[in-house]
Amino acid sequence: MLTFIGLGLYDEQSITVEGRDALQNADRAYAEFYTSKLLGATAADLEAAHDVDIEVRDRTGVEQHPDDILEAAESEDVAFLTAGDTMISTTHVDLRLRAHDRGIETRVIHGVTAQTAASSLTGLQNYRFGKATTLPFPYAHGADGLPASVTDTIDANREDGLHTVVYLDIKVDHELTDEDEYMTADVGAELLAEAYPDLVGVVVARAGSPDPLVAAGTMSELAEREFGDPLHLLVVPGECHALEADALVELADANRDALETN
Amino acid sequence: MGRRKKIVQECERLMDEPENIRNIAIAAHVDHGKTTLTDNLLAGAGMISDETAGEQLAMDTEEDEQERGITIDAANVSMTHEYEDTNHLINLIDTPGHVDFGGDVTRAMRAVDGALVVVDAVEGAMPQTETVLRQALREGVKPTLFINKVDRLISELQEGPEEMQQRLLSVISDVNELIRGMTEDMDDIDDWTVSVEDGTVGFGSALYKWGVSMPSMQRTGMDFGEIMELERADKRQELHERTPLSDVVLDMVCEHFPNPIDAQPRRIPRVWRGDDETDLAESMRLVDEDGEVVLMVTDIGVDPHAGEIAAGRVFSGTLEKGQELYVSGTAGKNRVQSVGIYMGGEREEVEEVPAGNIAAVTGLKDAIAGSTVSSVEMTPFESIEHISEPVITKSVEAQNMDDLPKLIETLRQVSKEDPTIQININEDTGEHLISGQGELHLEVITQRIEKNQGIPVNTGEPIVVYREQPQNPSDEVEGISPNRHNRFYISIEPMTDDLVETIQLGEASMDMPEQERREALQEAGMDKDTSQNVEHIHGTNILIDDTKGIQHLNETMELVVEGLEEALDNGPLANEPVQGTLIRLHDARLHEDTIHRGPAQVIPATREAVHKALIDGKIKMLEPMQDVRIDVPNDHMGAASGEIQGRRGRVDDMYQEGDLMVVEGIAPVGEMIGFASDIRSATEGRASWNTENAGFEVMSDSLQRDKIMEIRERKGMKLELPPSIDYL
Repeated sequence: MLTFIGLGLYDEQSITVEGRDALQNADRAYAEFYTSKLLGATAADLEAAHDVDIEVRDRTGVEQHPDDILEAAESEDVAFLTAGDTMISTTHVDLRLRAHDRGIETRVIHGVTAQTAASSLTGLQNYRFGKATTLPFPYAHGADGLPASVTDTIDANREDGLHTVVYLDIKVDHELTDEDEYMTADVGAELLAEAYPDLVGVVVARAGSPDPLVAAGTMSELAEREFGDPLHLLVVPGECHALEADALVELADANRDALETN
Repeated sequence: MGRRKKIVQECERLMDEPENIRNIAIAAHVDHGKTTLTDNLLAGAGMISDETAGEQLAMDTEEDEQERGITIDAANVSMTHEYEDTNHLINLIDTPGHVDFGGDVTRAMRAVDGALVVVDAVEGAMPQTETVLRQALREGVKPTLFINKVDRLISELQEGPEEMQQRLLSVISDVNELIRGMTEDMDDIDDWTVSVEDGTVGFGSALYKWGVSMPSMQRTGMDFGEIMELERADKRQELHERTPLSDVVLDMVCEHFPNPIDAQPRRIPRVWRGDDETDLAESMRLVDEDGEVVLMVTDIGVDPHAGEIAAGRVFSGTLEKGQELYVSGTAGKNRVQSVGIYMGGEREEVEEVPAGNIAAVTGLKDAIAGSTVSSVEMTPFESIEHISEPVITKSVEAQNMDDLPKLIETLRQVSKEDPTIQININEDTGEHLISGQGELHLEVITQRIEKNQGIPVNTGEPIVVYREQPQNPSDEVEGISPNRHNRFYISIEPMTDDLVETIQLGEASMDMPEQERREALQEAGMDKDTSQNVEHIHGTNILIDDTKGIQHLNETMELVVEGLEEALDNGPLANEPVQGTLIRLHDARLHEDTIHRGPAQVIPATREAVHKALIDGKIKMLEPMQDVRIDVPNDHMGAASGEIQGRRGRVDDMYQEGDLMVVEGIAPVGEMIGFASDIRSATEGRASWNTENAGFEVMSDSLQRDKIMEIRERKGMKLELPPSIDYL
């Protein structure tokens, strides 16, 4: 049995009760943190909290050499952990399909993801979100400056009056510094300000933690501010329903006039 | 040095008068006497003393050049010469003749408008004569001929007037046949054959410093008979005084070589593919000293005090200290720290160097031999193509670990100075690879590292550079990214020789406007649709993008190219470079979000697809070949041809030339290592020989597997091939 367990947003407390039980009962647990990470807990914290051993895998260890994980799952109960939800953004559906190929039974236990936090912290309705996109570090993608896939996504959503979630890049164990690198919202806003200096964006910082922050402003304004510890994401509101606008004014200190023209 | 100072002043004055400038190169087969001839010219111009000309070898400035008695780098010098009561400024480049240093010759030709081709009267036109002529003509450089060592015909071979005339005429007609053949298809060149009557041929002896030509005979009143008498009677000093070589040659240079104003309108379209309607094009054609600055760098040298010196031809504008100039292929600008001209091996700083001259510039830290340097951003000059690719590699290792940083810096410098050298720096193992044109080429480079930089090094045995090339078109194959969200569909096919050559010669490159590239490729036989979809050229391989309207592909293309280049630089058989392959991208499936189609996904996917396709196309090993020509007395002919055949070689022709037999053939470079000493002992030192790189050929099937395994073992690769390689 291979159980995919989402760890939720912030620390060892963010997992669901169902997830916790499944994890504690597993014979073996693997985790990957190369696409996202729990900022409030290390792998060791998780091990201590749940009284299990967790083997952390890098990208190659999951994508190219998952054979031993699958082999173990043939005879034992194996848990596979990621931050957020295992099938949103970082989709491990490929691993699940490989397991099915081998006749292994699988199960998914959901976790809370940034996608839901973006909606619930800002008050923007989840029915009114268009396609999401990720803003990569300029050195990390194949083209110059702001990638067209980002601007295309935002433009298409705005055309339809929809909101856009813009995830900000994370580099775990950066090859040069060997440290984790997180794009902060001011950096993201600065990149987006190249194309949209006056567009209103909403920063969601540290969703799921004890001190989340939500702040609105034009991209050029946001580029000048600081939002504290990661993780951050940006939301570009489209046409706002009256209640959505009220929420942004109240919860994110948005300028109502500026929202009108977004 | 009062006299020297005066010459510099005179040069500075003349630099502003392009009508009176001649930019010339002297080029010849190895040992036909270029450098000795150059010394004569310098002495004639008063730059070195008359007595030492011929022994001084002023142009061979490097210690190893004077030791070996051959020129290795091209060297520059300026001098003045009075012709028809007008003083002329002559900027001269001496070039190496040994085949291993051909890259220097090609670059020198870009800077000049005329090439004095020197041929040994006894040996006649040799393979390297043909090569330098081709290099000159391709650059639109006009040739004249000087037949050297005529004293040997008279004194040594004791030839009579008729015999001698016969021999000289046959040299001229051989050279003319080459010129005619090479210029046939050039519309911008009428008739550049040389003749005694026109005064475009000179004869003489650089060693004894006398010369003669039709105009000089008219001027001095000396005919050939009189010259022969004096030479026979050993009255060479008198001969030199009455008809000095330098006058004959420098008059010929002033009379028959075009000045920049005549040459540039013809040469610019040949070497520059920018928009010919612009002001910039106009000012290059007109040699406008008030135009924007355009410098084509042909050589990078190092001065222990001034650092790197870029030498090259100023095509437009005036170079001055303090200018901020663009360097092609790099971002930002470089600041000119000084400008100067060359006087022998030394550089003289001057205030400014206007269009039409050859300049020496410091401060251009980003420039390499071949860079275009300009005051406005512009289309760079055609890359100077030297068709020979590196065929031999040697490892170099510092003996003391402390020298490592200095060695790396020196190696980088070496490849900047001579782009035909390729450097592969491995900071992990400390074992660096240098690849070049031949054994001698690499030997000279390593000696320079040891002597000039004082870095003791250990070098490995020379290793031959191989190539890999598919033999058939492949089926369409799929490459999947590690996360399996990205897929690329690729096929490959071997390219025709015509296409490969078009790319090698730089007639089709990514630097040029799309329309021109398309036409050049179509002319070489590529169909129209394919030529419109060229996405990238790497080495002699082309990527064709046959996809239509795939979202996000354009922002992923750079990564596709990166994966493709990795796959081609390290072929599937033995990690040797892949050549002559056309790669078609038919289709791609990409993940919606950039993060899931980053370098870690796309590069391995493309690499895998390209390798799978190459293997499906029955990729095989190619080895570099060399044309070999041996001149040998009749009784050693068997031994000589045996030396070729014994090296997996093939003898193509054997014929009599004078009292010698000529053996011509071809053999693999790998087997030619150590040829020099073997042929010497096989023929008791009676053979003279010459090799020229002749491209790559597929190795015979029986040798493929062994060679692949040998290379894989050397490189520490797995000793088993992927199971899909089942055809070897």
